[in-house]
Amino acid sequence: MEHPITNVYITADTLISSLGFNTEENLKAIRNYRSGVTLQEDGRIATTPLMAATINPEGIASYLPEGINGNTPETCLPRLEQLFILAIDRILTQSGICLADGTCGLILSTTKGNIDLLAGHTDTPDERVFLAQMAKRIGDHFQASQPVEVISNACISGVSALVVAKRWIETGVYKQVIVVGGDILSPFITSGFLSFKSVSSKRCLPYDARRDGLNLGEACGAMLLSSEGAPEDILLSGGAISNDANHISGPSRTGDGLYLAIRQAMNEAGVSPEDISFVNAHGTATVYNDEMESKALHLAGLETVPVNSLKPYFGHTLGASGVIESIICLHELKEGILFATLGYEEPGVPMPLIVPSSHQPIDMKCCIKTASGFGGCNAAIVLTKASYSVPHPKDTQKAGEVRATTTVSIENNRLCVNETPVISSSAPDFASFIRETYKNLGESNMKFYKMDDLCKLGYIAAAYLLRGTHFLPEEIGILLSNAASSLDTDIRHQVIIDRDGDEAASPAVFVYTLPNVVAGEICIRHKIQGENTFFIEETYNPGKMEQYARIAMRKGALKACIVGWCELLGQAYKAEFKLIEIQ
Amino acid sequence: MEELIEQLKRELITELNLEEITPEEIDAEAPLFGDEGLGLDSIDALEIILILERNYGIKIENPAEGKQIFYSVRTLADFITTNKK
Repeated sequence: MEHPITNVYITADTLISSLGFNTEENLKAIRNYRSGVTLQEDGRIATTPLMAATINPEGIASYLPEGINGNTPETCLPRLEQLFILAIDRILTQSGICLADGTCGLILSTTKGNIDLLAGHTDTPDERVFLAQMAKRIGDHFQASQPVEVISNACISGVSALVVAKRWIETGVYKQVIVVGGDILSPFITSGFLSFKSVSSKRCLPYDARRDGLNLGEACGAMLLSSEGAPEDILLSGGAISNDANHISGPSRTGDGLYLAIRQAMNEAGVSPEDISFVNAHGTATVYNDEMESKALHLAGLETVPVNSLKPYFGHTLGASGVIESIICLHELKEGILFATLGYEEPGVPMPLIVPSSHQPIDMKCCIKTASGFGGCNAAIVLTKASYSVPHPKDTQKAGEVRATTTVSIENNRLCVNETPVISSSAPDFASFIRETYKNLGESNMKFYKMDDLCKLGYIAAAYLLRGTHFLPEEIGILLSNAASSLDTDIRHQVIIDRDGDEAASPAVFVYTLPNVVAGEICIRHKIQGENTFFIEETYNPGKMEQYARIAMRKGALKACIVGWCELLGQAYKAEFKLIEIQ
Repeated sequence: MEELIEQLKRELITELNLEEITPEEIDAEAPLFGDEGLGLDSIDALEIILILERNYGIKIENPAEGKQIFYSVRTLADFITTNKK
């Protein structure tokens, strides 16, 4: 069934960050070159003081709808849930819509949700630590009639969520979708980034020769996407996701992955480099991220387009960053002002970029927002002024039958391919069982033993699924889901820091505290550069995942997609993978 | 020195999850990183920094300093011998 092309308008937004409690306060701070990054000495954020951008807790309390926290400490909502509810409530009030009639979807974008509640409770984790439980609680608060979606895709989560929302609107799943991105800081997160030695002791300096790392930040932002809008609105006109297939924590040395996402997003929007007024890149100010971005922007032919990073204002706000930075972008488009990269002085990336150090008035048409994250993922979207008429791109949707060609399931010491048992084991535990399945593959990849159990499970399922297949890197994507996210490894990381202190955090453990790293490991092994998205669901919903895979495949370059469920917590595990292909 | 080299090999195997590898198979002179030798990566480098801190009381603040020090098990052992308090 072909759908006519639907415009996706951004019709409302709100932003809560270190710089203010609504979008206007944030914009005002940025116009005044104010940074939210300060020295944090609060033990709730980190045990060792560090430079970060945090949200004033008293501020949140004064803005919350009355009665929301009940009357006792026990009924008080977790800090992140308060932010999510506040942001969603504002969008509903601004737009007059409700979540009860089923026409408006809700997507939460977060890397770690309520992970601050895990400290000291690793034996019996609070159920609110489960992202799907958090989503359900938030949905119940607003009497949502549709399930609340959670996307947890490392630092591209926010941009990923916007891409999903856009496709849902275009294919008529919803008329409107609220995308809300949020993450807060706690020793869980700060200790991990410190162990990676990627945190700067000063305010971060994206693209500058003096840059030496990032600052972490807290934020929550929400946008309303709609099939109907006004000429003064901004359109979400293109969006794409890719993988470097290079390393789970180190950015690509060539920039080819991010370039692929930018190219596909621009194709979808029907724009060329001359149409792009500015690029708001990820710009974390780590040496390698910014270096990679400079290469990708040159590959995309965007070397003469001005670039900015908003990280010196907000810090790196993780799962919120894609949403809040897109909000700033759309206001830059509307106001005709490109915001400066605060503090930028000395060019410091291998491929030269134009990085203004003061705000610039610009004739605005479109902008590109990019993000890159652990697991090797990249994402890019194009935002266009609805009044700027881009000749509508041709409907490139591919025809062709989409069907499942292979399935793999792993459960209870058994691995089946196309429902036929290939391995049945009497192994006493998951570790011995999965080693047995690996030996059976006849591979010798030293990296396998370094993976966490969730990644081993997904790696093995994909290895059996893709045996004998051949795809070009861009032709195949991975869409996975589970309920426990990366909680198995989250607990390992928390146990280490609870026991030995934050400085004992292990980078080799922390890197696996993101569920999408499973897809990253599969991409590295099989040289897959197509789309990756990780959804969190209470239970596996194969119909929904396959439907989304079909939408994704009909859009871009994908000819095949791995769709599945990859769940592991303690000794309980289950993988159910399916390869679907366009015939 | 040889004793320290053997101890380091065992520590690397345990801490870096080098399953399926025995201390005898690690050549003390061979490069630890890159495509040859053990094929370690940037995350392993950060873990080696932790091993040095935890087990030998030596702090390396800037991972870039590690490049020569972490070249092989022997260069690592030399560095520990020189810097151990």
